Amino acid sequence: MIRDRIRELVVHNPMLVEITRFRRRYFTFSSGNSMNSVILSLVLICYAGLVLVVADNRDGMDPTILVHLEMILLTLFAPMMLYGSIAGERERRSWDLLLAAPITKSQIVAGKFMGAMAALGIAFGLFQIPILIAATGDRDTNWYHLFVASLVALSFLLLVCALTIFFSARVKRGLMALGAVLGLLTMGLIVAPAFLTMAATADHGGADPTMFLHPTYVLSQLSIRPRINYSDKTGDAVVSTLTWGWPQILVYIALTLTLLAWASNTLNFAENEVKFLPQGDKNARS
Amino acid sequence: MLEVKNLRKEYGGLTAVKGITFDLNPGDIFGFIGSNGAGKTTTIRMISTLLEPTSGTAVLNGADIRRNPMDVRRMIGYMPDFFGLYDDVKVWEYLDFFAAIYQVPQKQRTDVIDSVLELTNLTVKKQAFVQSLSRGMQQRLCLARCLVHDPTLLLLDEPASGLDPRARAELKELIAELGRMGKIVIVSSHILPELADFCNTVGIIERGELLAFGPVSQIVKDIQPHRVFAANILTDRERAIECLIGQASVLDAKLGDDGEVRIEFIGDLDAQADLLAALIGNGFRVTSFKEDSADLEDVFLKLTTGAVN
Repeated sequence: MIRDRIRELVVHNPMLVEITRFRRRYFTFSSGNSMNSVILSLVLICYAGLVLVVADNRDGMDPTILVHLEMILLTLFAPMMLYGSIAGERERRSWDLLLAAPITKSQIVAGKFMGAMAALGIAFGLFQIPILIAATGDRDTNWYHLFVASLVALSFLLLVCALTIFFSARVKRGLMALGAVLGLLTMGLIVAPAFLTMAATADHGGADPTMFLHPTYVLSQLSIRPRINYSDKTGDAVVSTLTWGWPQILVYIALTLTLLAWASNTLNFAENEVKFLPQGDKNARS
Repeated sequence: MLEVKNLRKEYGGLTAVKGITFDLNPGDIFGFIGSNGAGKTTTIRMISTLLEPTSGTAVLNGADIRRNPMDVRRMIGYMPDFFGLYDDVKVWEYLDFFAAIYQVPQKQRTDVIDSVLELTNLTVKKQAFVQSLSRGMQQRLCLARCLVHDPTLLLLDEPASGLDPRARAELKELIAELGRMGKIVIVSSHILPELADFCNTVGIIERGELLAFGPVSQIVKDIQPHRVFAANILTDRERAIECLIGQASVLDAKLGDDGEVRIEFIGDLDAQADLLAALIGNGFRVTSFKEDSADLEDVFLKLTTGAVN
């Protein structure tokens, strides 16, 4: 059964054409969109600059700083790639063509998700080069923690992609999805932690359990503690990846799967139907 | 065969389609006529499985739209009135994508794509990006997309909108060819003369009710059971009307708003010649005498009131 599901969603999913579309839109100069070409050129220049800076400072750069940077940049980039994945189809009026075709809702969502992940995967892969350069130059590097930190960043990226697809499936306009995701990320990653931090000023100073799912907090736990312990044999106990690392990865992946399944179940309404309005509302009947 | 059985769609207090019923056979080209808001698109969307009927159903070659929507989808090609195409894909990739969705075997796809591109006259645009196509070409590409899986039923909602006269003529010929290939084609349009040219069956819908259904000639005959002649008589028209009413082959004669005398006639060709001879023989100065046959537009205007839901 699982094999059939994988065949349906991955091997024989026609929606994998999305991979070509994302690749063409974001990673080629021949898509016919000059703005994309300009942005891609700038990104490549910045990337080359980053690699050069890291190579120049290979004795003193903590590689997990680069993992932070990677996660923040890709977390901002992912909603911009995906906000129109489903809502945009409705706006473009191409949605009905898909709904009237013999393709399952899961295939549509899986195709959109994998298309975006393939594009983000390229960016993620490119980021590994400066991270590896910095890691090889840092004798304190805890490779296992670095690996787990990368997985945290990747799994959080999966979650952001799933969240964007979910909102894109639930709202009528793509920009509404973008606003909802960016708003939620701002609330969840900046505003709420700031309030929690203020409320806990008299804290004991240890790891904050309220930040259990905060990705940058998790990364900071993974990056700082091993270094202290590694260089100072009598220092604090090593932060276990069973507390900071793997649990968050599993939660992010579980949330990703939940959101994708939820998004799939939302796709049964055609364009012009407003799902968020109650059924009795006259605007829902337009 | 397509059997539409008492198909009904309600939106809250509004009944968009009030239980319409009709059957279509392979080769039928069905023109679906109605004002904006009459229920054409809702009916087409229900048949295409995009909208769930409130009651009733449609069965295509044994597959029920409510019980086996996936089976129905494999047999239909749906072209909505407004549609969008994907950016960042080439024409052949777009068709290949839909061919894959419709499970056309990979080995056959190249040939299928080439043949539908040829049929829709888009072969030269095979490698072009879809966003670079003109409106008419995009319309043809959408039709090509409908054909990649060799569907049994084609649902074309206003397919000619936005096309130039040449493209319309080509589309008409293409639809007629699809009918000759044995496909069932449902076409909705506002351009009635065009529909009359290539549809062998029409249905007139207003406020969700199917007012008339059948071959064009039959529907015309239903609303105008007798032949009508229009005679242009220079003088003394009132007396001419009295003279005409006295003829055995004339059911009725009256003066029209345009000054012509309209004659409801039940005779054969001989009687028609006799009638004209009688008019002239009685000294009436006739400048024209011609049959005034009703067309689809007359039928539509006579049956409908222009009211919408």
